Amino acid sequence: MPNPPKTIYIIDDDELFADCIKSAIKKHDKSIAIKTFKNALDAMNSLDDLPDLILLDILLPGPDGFTFLNELASYPDTAKIPVVLVTSLALPEADLSIYNIQGILNKEKMKPTEVIEYVKRFSR
Amino acid sequence: MHSEVTTTSGIFVAAHELKAPLALMRQLALSLDPENPAETKEYQDKLISVSDRALRQVNDLAKVARLEDALFEMEPVAVRGVCDEVTEELKYLFRFQQRSLKVSYRNKQKLAVANRDLLHSIIYNFCVNALKYSDEDQTSLLTLKDKKQFIRLEVRDFGPALPTDIYQKIAQNNLEGPTSISFRPDSSGLGLFIATRFARYMKANVGATRHRDGTSFFVDLPVSNQGTLFNA
Repeated sequence: MPNPPKTIYIIDDDELFADCIKSAIKKHDKSIAIKTFKNALDAMNSLDDLPDLILLDILLPGPDGFTFLNELASYPDTAKIPVVLVTSLALPEADLSIYNIQGILNKEKMKPTEVIEYVKRFSR
Repeated sequence: MHSEVTTTSGIFVAAHELKAPLALMRQLALSLDPENPAETKEYQDKLISVSDRALRQVNDLAKVARLEDALFEMEPVAVRGVCDEVTEELKYLFRFQQRSLKVSYRNKQKLAVANRDLLHSIIYNFCVNALKYSDEDQTSLLTLKDKKQFIRLEVRDFGPALPTDIYQKIAQNNLEGPTSISFRPDSSGLGLFIATRFARYMKANVGATRHRDGTSFFVDLPVSNQGTLFNA
């Protein structure tokens, strides 16, 4: 059985929504360290400490989720970090193939269990 | 044609902004765990708070649509009283999100000519906007002060500075609809649009001051010449 990821970043300006996701992950595994960021800039500045999974909203204050994805793709180490988009925007997955996007969760339809599926899949 | 485009994009932006609380409420409902009563209570409180805000926004939009019918009576209003109502209503929400709202009344109980409900909505929208753009542990400021011909109600936040184009639209009283969803990202400016329309109805002016570390939104309300008999 694989170990769970050690660190997950949640980047979402909606703090209450981020709290819901955080709570679901913590219920699944208390040992996972979760860092939440309200904007992409703060998350970018924390990338020295590479997370195992990033849950990313697209509409963010300041640089948006796509800017953050471009920043991730710019460096070989950060380009490998799996990213799951958590957004209410309709995004065609095919157009995002240049990024390491492992899935898209629609905020209007997703369930907490779907987040856990990704957490389990990217455990190491 | 232009107004059709404005209406269509306005509806799109309003729909997008209203989607956020609905998606959040759905997520909160899915997170309820009957085996954890303390957490369930917390989520119930959040659900009520988020739905209250969404309902207020829908009600405000309905009022905007009815402004042309001139159904909102103007009367002498004690602005402090309305500020007190709003701050009391939002107390929980600010505390819950680890923010605070400081109130400073520097006026001498003058009355303004206003519609109480519309004024309530303006103050509410300004305060929620400040909450949204403040970081944890930050304090937003609500100030009420007398000017010669009007009473200025101002709410200062410490978020990102207002973009110049939006600032100019506000300064020129030219904010005709909710703006692009990325104008001050994560917001369509719907609250500001609502406040502007309500202020215009009441012959009041909405404005903004840009600071290096945030923005102040204000409304200048015409002073009522009636006595303080109607303070209550």
